[in-house]
Amino acid sequence: MSRLPLDPSAGGGRFPGFDVMAQSKHWDEVTTSVVVSRLGMPPDIRFFRGTEEATASALCDQLLDQQKPPRVPVVNMVDARLADEQTDGWHYDGMAPDGQSWRDSLAALDEDAMAHSGCTFAEAPWEAQSAILQAVLDLGSKPWHGTPAARIWSLWTRYACTAFYSHPWAWDEIGFPGPAYPRGYKNLGVNEPGGKTNRLEPFEVADARPAQDPLRKGNS
Amino acid sequence: MNSVRDRNESAWLLPAGPGINHRLRADMRHFDDEEEVDVVIIGCGAGGSTMAQRLARAGWSVVAMDAGPFWDPDKDWVSDEAGSHHLYWTEPRVIGGADPVPLGSNNSGRGVGGSMVHYAGYAPRFHPSDFRIHSADGVGTDWPIEYTDLKPYYTEIEEELPVSGQDWPWGDPHSYSYSPNPVSGNGDMFLRGALACGITAKVGPVAIANGRFGNRPHCIYRGFCLQGCKVNAKASPLITHIPDALAHGAEVRADSMVTRIEVDERTGKATGVHYNRRGSQRFQRARMVVVAGYSIETPRLLLNSASARFPDGLCNDFDLVGRYLMVQGAPQTAGRFDGEVRMYKAPPPEVSTEEFYETDPTKPYKRGFSIQTVSPLPITWAEHVAAQGHWGAGLRQYMSDYVHWSCLGALCEFLPLPENRVVLSSEKDRHGLPVAQFNYSQCDNDKALMRAAQSVMEDILQAAGADEVITIDRYAHLVGGARMGADEHSGVVDGDCRSFAVPNLYITDGSVLPTEGSANPALTIMAIAARAADRLTAGGAGSTADRLPVPVRRGATG
Ligand SMILES: Cc1cc2nc3c(=O)[nH]c(=O)nc-3n(C[C@H](O)[C@H](O)[C@H](O)COP(=O)(O)OP(=O)(O)OC[C@H]3O[C@@H](n4cnc5c(N)ncnc54)[C@H](O)[C@@H]3O)c2cc1C
Ligand code: SF4
Repeated sequence: MSRLPLDPSAGGGRFPGFDVMAQSKHWDEVTTSVVVSRLGMPPDIRFFRGTEEATASALCDQLLDQQKPPRVPVVNMVDARLADEQTDGWHYDGMAPDGQSWRDSLAALDEDAMAHSGCTFAEAPWEAQSAILQAVLDLGSKPWHGTPAARIWSLWTRYACTAFYSHPWAWDEIGFPGPAYPRGYKNLGVNEPGGKTNRLEPFEVADARPAQDPLRKGNS
Repeated sequence: MNSVRDRNESAWLLPAGPGINHRLRADMRHFDDEEEVDVVIIGCGAGGSTMAQRLARAGWSVVAMDAGPFWDPDKDWVSDEAGSHHLYWTEPRVIGGADPVPLGSNNSGRGVGGSMVHYAGYAPRFHPSDFRIHSADGVGTDWPIEYTDLKPYYTEIEEELPVSGQDWPWGDPHSYSYSPNPVSGNGDMFLRGALACGITAKVGPVAIANGRFGNRPHCIYRGFCLQGCKVNAKASPLITHIPDALAHGAEVRADSMVTRIEVDERTGKATGVHYNRRGSQRFQRARMVVVAGYSIETPRLLLNSASARFPDGLCNDFDLVGRYLMVQGAPQTAGRFDGEVRMYKAPPPEVSTEEFYETDPTKPYKRGFSIQTVSPLPITWAEHVAAQGHWGAGLRQYMSDYVHWSCLGALCEFLPLPENRVVLSSEKDRHGLPVAQFNYSQCDNDKALMRAAQSVMEDILQAAGADEVITIDRYAHLVGGARMGADEHSGVVDGDCRSFAVPNLYITDGSVLPTEGSANPALTIMAIAARAADRLTAGGAGSTADRLPVPVRRGATG
């Protein structure tokens, strides 16, 4: 069961008792050290300056809907990558490399918030922040502060999702067991609903609400 | 020379179980920069490693350089998605054009083994029709060689990787030396859906033995093939060709970024390469230079090697270097099932169909696509979901449903276009060299194939029982950029991979492909390199012996 607060109606608690870290004794040492480091003290902020940290934190909380603690320290993980220039190795022609694009887009978010709510993005109420972001997404390939909105959106979501879904608490939430070496998997195949087939490993936990299809909301 | 082991002992040189042969690496031969080696190879990926192994076996003195590390899978790789970032080529590149292609994790690797360290492991052949698409369909171009020229090398490499799969009914029908691997939830959904739609789908062809191979262990179905196989079950040149190359006296010089190829203005021949090794600038002399740095770095290196004789870049007399670069359109369609598919279990490469590979005269587009299982892990899956416009609470909710999704990917044959190319950017890397700018724009045929493939994938998943399907457009498998051609007006190299402009300069990586088919390219790249090596060493038809200094043969030191 994930430590992250997520309401059952929003997809929380689907894998009762599932605990990725409980299996860590079956992982190899190198992988274990990489994964365990994500559970320790979050790395200090080194890249974001001044108010950028507040804006980036608010943005990351919005993107992954982390409204209350405990949180996956997404902003620290994004900051660490930018400080180390650990980019994906490419950027769009006419758009600055990732680090500068993050700075520029955070400043642009503050500008939008000023116009929208008369305060910085981080100070704006949650709903106002959401509205500002939805407006950016809705622009699609149209420019937002001079850059196609979709490119900025993909920059934010790529960094934020990579951070969040690399965290064992997020894996607990989605039923993914994480590292699998040297143990591997032995029971392959589709785990049919209603116990028709059991294709789970002893340490996997079946979804408690298999009909909670995101498109069939409230159907659980 | 009938058994695989007689031609390539790599799998028997590795220790039993995971790990590397530390003795072999410790005893590796070292050449002096001053010594004129028979050949220096730039890049130890699919094409470069095959070349290194073949030429070392033939007794040539070989230095194979790679910009990245000489991996130790045990220590350097992890069973974790985000922790595998160092496997990708992340030096800066700029992307442009009307349909820019993101690079990085989905497109190119570094270090000994090249992009095959983190490739999925599909190893299909091209079809005979691929070599003649201009004659047959009036699109793209014809190759200067035929399928039959490559066929014996396909067989050889399939045995050396080795490849497992069912008997293959498409293209030139053939079978594999290893039976197919068992199928997991994702492959099962594909097979069910295909059956219901009346589409033939087959298990394979995958470069993961169903069983042991030499000392290499059986796959443990852990699903992290795209993060590098710590087990040594999935083939990459690091374990399939480099050990044998070392045993035959080749030197692998890792952490060595080649910055420029030197050509003697008087003789017109390449004399060696300038490279940066851990901060010092060095020059390795060589009788022959083989470039195999991937479809982006190969053209970039040629362009960065301009000289008085080649003011627009090495081998670029006819403005062909960097052009006709191709990616495959690789849309991924996922379907939602009430059952738990858990696609993270077992290798992502499982099942494919090539039923839509050839031109269908009833369709408005030429050429076609193949469809395969792809099984994204959570981070890649989040990208897939986010691409649908989900974020915040919607994203978390969708992601909590991960175990219920099955995912297929198509490979659509995009046509070679001159403006899809690598040029030098005004931006510099940390060595002070201009970085590559890669421009891409799709033509109408490309776009039509993307949508056609998507609709077939949707049909398959729905026929398997999916109640919802979602698609993300992706692009994979860069090839071309220094293509082979019948003459110097149509290609940078000839059918034997020898450059038209510099007699002792070869290119033996994916850059030389004139068209891309709908097959994953690694097997073809290795087969082309194996053929080029054979032509060089056997002195067969088209022998270069008369035009090249004969290599000094040294006994094998294995
Ligand atoms: C995620 C992913 C999945 C894939 N899945 C498949 C698949 O299932 N099947 C398939 O067939 N293909 C697949 N591919 C593609 C396949 O891996 C590549 O097409 C193939 O490896 C390319 O071979 P290459 O020899 O051209 O280059 P590479 O294998 O990339 O080798 C190039 C090497 O050159 C080195 N290098 C570059 N420049 C320099 C320089 N200047 N100096 C020194 N060294 C240099 C690089 O470090 C690299 O190691 C996949 C690729 C990716 C990224
Ligand atoms: S699934 Fe098999 S081949 Fe793939 S990484 Fe794991 S052990 Fe290697």
